[in-house]
Amino acid sequence: MKRATLLAAALLCATPASAGWKLVPAGTPIAVAKSSMSVRPGEAWNRSTERPSKRGETWTLDGVALSDLSFYAAVPPGEAIFRERDKKDEPLPRVAAGMLPTDIVAAVEGSYRILLRTSLFEVEEVAPATLGGHKGVRFTYRFTTQDDEVRRRGEALAALVGGRLYLMTFDAPAIHYFDARIAAARAVMDSAVIPAASVEVTR
Amino acid sequence: MKALLLLAALAQAVAAGPQTSEERGLWMEMDEAERELKDSNFVVRDSALQTYVEGVLCRTVGTARCAQARVYLVRTPYFNASMAPNGMMQVWTGLLLRVRNEAQLAAVLAHEFAHFEGRHSLIQFREARAKTDAMAWLSFLPMGVGAIGSVGLAGGIFANSREMERAADLASIGHLKSAGYAPGEAARIWEGLRAEQDATAAARGRKSRRDRNGGFFATHPNSGNRAAYLTQAAAGAGGDDGAAAYRAAIAPWWARLIDDQIKLNDPGATDFLLGNLARDGWTAALLYARGELYRAWGRPGDLEQAVAFYREAIAAGVVPAEAHRGLGLALTRIGDEAEARAALGDYLRLKPDAGDRAIIAAMIAS
Repeated sequence: MKRATLLAAALLCATPASAGWKLVPAGTPIAVAKSSMSVRPGEAWNRSTERPSKRGETWTLDGVALSDLSFYAAVPPGEAIFRERDKKDEPLPRVAAGMLPTDIVAAVEGSYRILLRTSLFEVEEVAPATLGGHKGVRFTYRFTTQDDEVRRRGEALAALVGGRLYLMTFDAPAIHYFDARIAAARAVMDSAVIPAASVEVTR
Repeated sequence: MKALLLLAALAQAVAAGPQTSEERGLWMEMDEAERELKDSNFVVRDSALQTYVEGVLCRTVGTARCAQARVYLVRTPYFNASMAPNGMMQVWTGLLLRVRNEAQLAAVLAHEFAHFEGRHSLIQFREARAKTDAMAWLSFLPMGVGAIGSVGLAGGIFANSREMERAADLASIGHLKSAGYAPGEAARIWEGLRAEQDATAAARGRKSRRDRNGGFFATHPNSGNRAAYLTQAAAGAGGDDGAAAYRAAIAPWWARLIDDQIKLNDPGATDFLLGNLARDGWTAALLYARGELYRAWGRPGDLEQAVAFYREAIAAGVVPAEAHRGLGLALTRIGDEAEARAALGDYLRLKPDAGDRAIIAAMIAS
């Protein structure tokens, strides 16, 4: 299956034949998404060499169609969170200074709807949370994609840190895989650390 | 699957069943595509709405003929309808959001039916096969992932040659006249789409593509021409536009359809659509939707406008609890904390089981 990440799969040109995988070992802190944010996975994961955006990174346990843990780090105001398919005709929502937690959720929902071309996307629960010690938001959602008609569930953890957006998402089919993998994904999300020094760093 | 759906979406045609081996083959492929569509999560399963749309089709083309069509309402926010050669008709919810009355819906359904009766897709399929391998033809089509959604992005009802489109347009005027619908409404659809494309372009700071006629649109009469010859064909004929019946039929779905549209991040088009729907007055539902749109738009002054729209909506009548949520969030963004807390509190009181209760409660407390 020529599909590197769920969102990247929505972008026709985003699946180079050279997409590959690197092992992420368990138990050691590892920097993600070309940023100073790091996580410490409790078990080994597979990292895709293909990125869902220039500030993103995708891990999986079963193949991304079945479990997709993605990281997006330090997205500055004015930028889309995800790689755009067509900036001119299908622009994605942008990160904005002063976004409320509910605005972050809306930006993720809008981006998924546009990239996956689906109207079957529903946010379920939205609650306060901390991401690497920073005040943020955790939310759950359900969506269905048109190309494979698979019903998926997702959970995300996000925060604005120093005016930049940090986001982690976990998406998996509602049948079996979400329940089977959410604990491992949540453990990775909850292990995230964003050093205070990174707040002003521009990459 | 994708290729079949593409063909289904592109194809349109036939009364007495398939007549040749070629046509039988095309029908078989369409039947397979239809089996997949039947199981799709994107098909709207609402018997009242289904019965209504089928009723409009039957009134328009006649009861005997409409029995040849099987209507599928597809949840996707773009403007489109299509009819495959085996009688599978797709009507997208983005079309339902955009047409303003029953006569406009009837015009689109009659147009698609005319392609079907004219066996237009078969003719086109033959032409394509004469020139090249059919599969090569399919792979040439400007679509990839998500056939349903991609189609709409290419713009409007499509397929067939310009002559076929024109023939179907004129046939639809005949159907509207004999069904007693106001035939002038057919041109209104294209005028609306043109204006919507202008509005999208203006909000995004680029040139409108409304009458672009190169590339994909080369096979279509441009919207301007279309509106002109439709107006001419309808001249002098009166009839019923069925606006009240249409509004009543679409009412249970309207909130979801406008929500799908707002989340497309095409604020120019959405604002235009809302204004178009509000020609007879801004209802509470329209004002609430406009509040949601402006809260997301993000230009200077939009949040203040959103606050005003939410307040007008709440004053105007029955609105969803989310109107109070939107008001509270917009007020939070502009720093009016006391009022924001009150509005968010109203939201939680009106919707105690809200999925975002925890975050809203935390925002009130902070």
